[in-house]
Amino acid sequence: MRPNLYWLQCGGCGGDTMSMLNADSPNIVEAKESLGIDVLFHPSFSTITPAQHLELLDRLTGGTIPLDILCVEGSVILGPNGTGMFETFAGLAKKDLIAQLAARAGLVMAIGTCAAYGGVTRACAVEAVGLQFTAKEPGGLLGPGFTSRLGLPVINLPGCPVHPQVLIGTLSAFSAGKYLELNERNAPLEYYNMLVHQGCTRNEYHEYQIEETDFGQKGCLFFHMGCHGPLAHGPCNKFLWNNRSCKTRTGIPCFGCTEPDFPQSSPFFETPNIVGLPINLPDGVDRPHYLAYKGMAAAAAPERLKHRKPKV
Amino acid sequence: MAENTRKTISVPLNRVEGDLELTIEHEDGVVTNAWSRGVMYRGFENMMKGRGAWDGLVLTPRVCGICGTAHLLTAAKALDMICGIALPANAIMVRNLAMMAEHIQSDLRHGILMFMQDFLNPAYANLPIYGEAVRRYETFRGRSVVETIRMTKKILEIVAILGGQWPNSSFIVPGGVASVPTYNDIVSCIYIINLFTAWYEEQILGCPIERWQQIESEQDLMAWMNEDDAHRSSDLGFFIRMAHLVRLDRIGRGHGNFLSFGQLELPPDSAVRSRSGDALLLAPGFISDGNASAVNQELVSEHVAYSHFIDYPGGLHPSEGITQPYVSPYEAVKYSFCKAPRYAGQPAETGPLAQMLTSRHPLFLDLVERYGPSVYVRELARLVRPAELLPAMKTWAGEIDPEAPFYHSVREIPDGLGYGLTDASRGALGHWLEVKKQQIERYQIITPTAWNGSPRDHGGIRGPWEEALIGTPIADPDNPVEAGHVIRSFDACQVCAVHLLKNPRRGNGRPACLRV
Repeated sequence: MRPNLYWLQCGGCGGDTMSMLNADSPNIVEAKESLGIDVLFHPSFSTITPAQHLELLDRLTGGTIPLDILCVEGSVILGPNGTGMFETFAGLAKKDLIAQLAARAGLVMAIGTCAAYGGVTRACAVEAVGLQFTAKEPGGLLGPGFTSRLGLPVINLPGCPVHPQVLIGTLSAFSAGKYLELNERNAPLEYYNMLVHQGCTRNEYHEYQIEETDFGQKGCLFFHMGCHGPLAHGPCNKFLWNNRSCKTRTGIPCFGCTEPDFPQSSPFFETPNIVGLPINLPDGVDRPHYLAYKGMAAAAAPERLKHRKPKV
Repeated sequence: MAENTRKTISVPLNRVEGDLELTIEHEDGVVTNAWSRGVMYRGFENMMKGRGAWDGLVLTPRVCGICGTAHLLTAAKALDMICGIALPANAIMVRNLAMMAEHIQSDLRHGILMFMQDFLNPAYANLPIYGEAVRRYETFRGRSVVETIRMTKKILEIVAILGGQWPNSSFIVPGGVASVPTYNDIVSCIYIINLFTAWYEEQILGCPIERWQQIESEQDLMAWMNEDDAHRSSDLGFFIRMAHLVRLDRIGRGHGNFLSFGQLELPPDSAVRSRSGDALLLAPGFISDGNASAVNQELVSEHVAYSHFIDYPGGLHPSEGITQPYVSPYEAVKYSFCKAPRYAGQPAETGPLAQMLTSRHPLFLDLVERYGPSVYVRELARLVRPAELLPAMKTWAGEIDPEAPFYHSVREIPDGLGYGLTDASRGALGHWLEVKKQQIERYQIITPTAWNGSPRDHGGIRGPWEEALIGTPIADPDNPVEAGHVIRSFDACQVCAVHLLKNPRRGNGRPACLRV
């Protein structure tokens, strides 16, 4: 049996679909063929008539067509005052449609940070939540105890947008019945146990504490420019974006868009610090040792790095 | 709605970015009235208040997943203005290249993946051309669809090389760009432009861009069609054949007002020249009743008389804009969470066709002068806009000097008011903001879809696509494919209409939801 898939967009910008269109080897056409997935509906691509779509939804929520995979893109808008009427479909709060489909689905996937944790929409005053988390708090729309028909929680694929390879890789595993181990926020370790920092071409600058205070330089952006690379979990410097690069490689700080608290309330392009040392240290590092290490590293910095010779 | 023959329909459709509700009144098979309804309220502008002065560079690209580079550029331009900083030539060219790559992906993804799909509608199943439409445009299968997915992601590699990733990078900053492309980066961009141009010429145009650029009138266009099988069998050739067969040149007229903020600044000493001698490759302008005038952003205002916001009289300039959502179950007048932007008090359509007209493209001036705007001419402009962009992209990529600066330092944003104007892929985009003590004091955004999909204004005048629907024949109210053509010819993108809120029910108690 070909697994079927229903893709639902809600409180977001559609950027995850746009990111998916950039998938390469396989691209989305090749992936669909290889995986044998039957796409019942995607809002950007489907040509079924409006009446057919409403009928499909009736059958899916009624259970006469068993739904295998539900992909949700965008946050769940609960406002105003919990009614959900800031976002509706065919006259009903969209949050209710999402819950009805999730209750029937074999597997539920939260595509992007908005669907996983609320994301940018959570920062707006519309009571936006993720499917099973609101920022770091378990719960969200479906509640901490929710499991889909296959007994799994919502599989979170954060990122603003999600990396296309993360999406296609995760779909490949679960549609083939392979379970990917999840972290404490239900994101696959395969993609989210590494830091954005790992693989950054500016790593040697970071090692010797060659830190920049302005744009257009070659050094590290962690100490002063607000880079979340050593804090944020994701494969941006392993898979790269659009087959080419990523923000940190091109001199733009990582904004930590895979993290549950994205967008952080402190200003972007600035690193909150105490006496020149970032308040938030790399994942798992203790402050006294980091302070000692960085002092020695700066003293050991070679001239070629001090003069920004390597065009990384 | 007094007469029996007059009926109101509301139908959910798909293939726009985001949700759109449209209610259409039709009589004797012809649309007599239309209401474009807001869909989703995210409150983006209010969220910006009190955040760091630079934060628009990170957050506003997230307004829209398909034109984030345009929001980034517009946010940076507003900060450029507040800082009063001049840009290095390299930065102008890098910004331009990224914008052009984003336009090209958007034009072709919309054209081939979203607009052409309507030709697979069962209403056309008996046409001899239908089988060809299916072979080309079937979802995930059609030859043109597969090719367009393959190549639009290729052109976006340019944005990743120059700015890290697409979508949602933040590489454009006040003073220039944050990245410092190397010689190899620039060469890679040139190879991608060459590869993409060759594909665009073969697949989409069916001829070299130089040949296409010789077309200056409808007569030239028809001669081109008859000149070579490759012209007729390209995607453009197919579109022209199909459009004439199903008379897309007869629907979707609208007010006939056009607005472009202009874009793509020509750096000093560049070999690239604009068609009209303007300082921008695509010149700004406002056209009303066939008369073109220069754009003055002070003439932009937003009305809320029919929008779900707390009332104020007339229109307000966006630098004074107020966004206070207001919804009541007893509401009888207000019907959209989109504000109604107006230029000099008038509604205006915006997008590739407006750009072709304000930058004096002879073919489009001729077509609109002869027949007025239509679905056909609007979509034609979108499909051939890449031909206006690709040659300039190649020249600019070659003119970038990796040894020269890409950025003039801006360490702090001073207090002040600023605005950024450009054309996003769907048309005129503006950000108006105020910075005080390193924080955003106010932020107002007017997106292209706010212009095109606006509701009625203070004077009760319909928005552009509401007006364009008037007179559209509806052969089958259960399958209003004609209305879909009209709306999609504007490349409707509701996620970017940042004020929007979905209105749950219409007065007649039926779900009012035309998702086009």
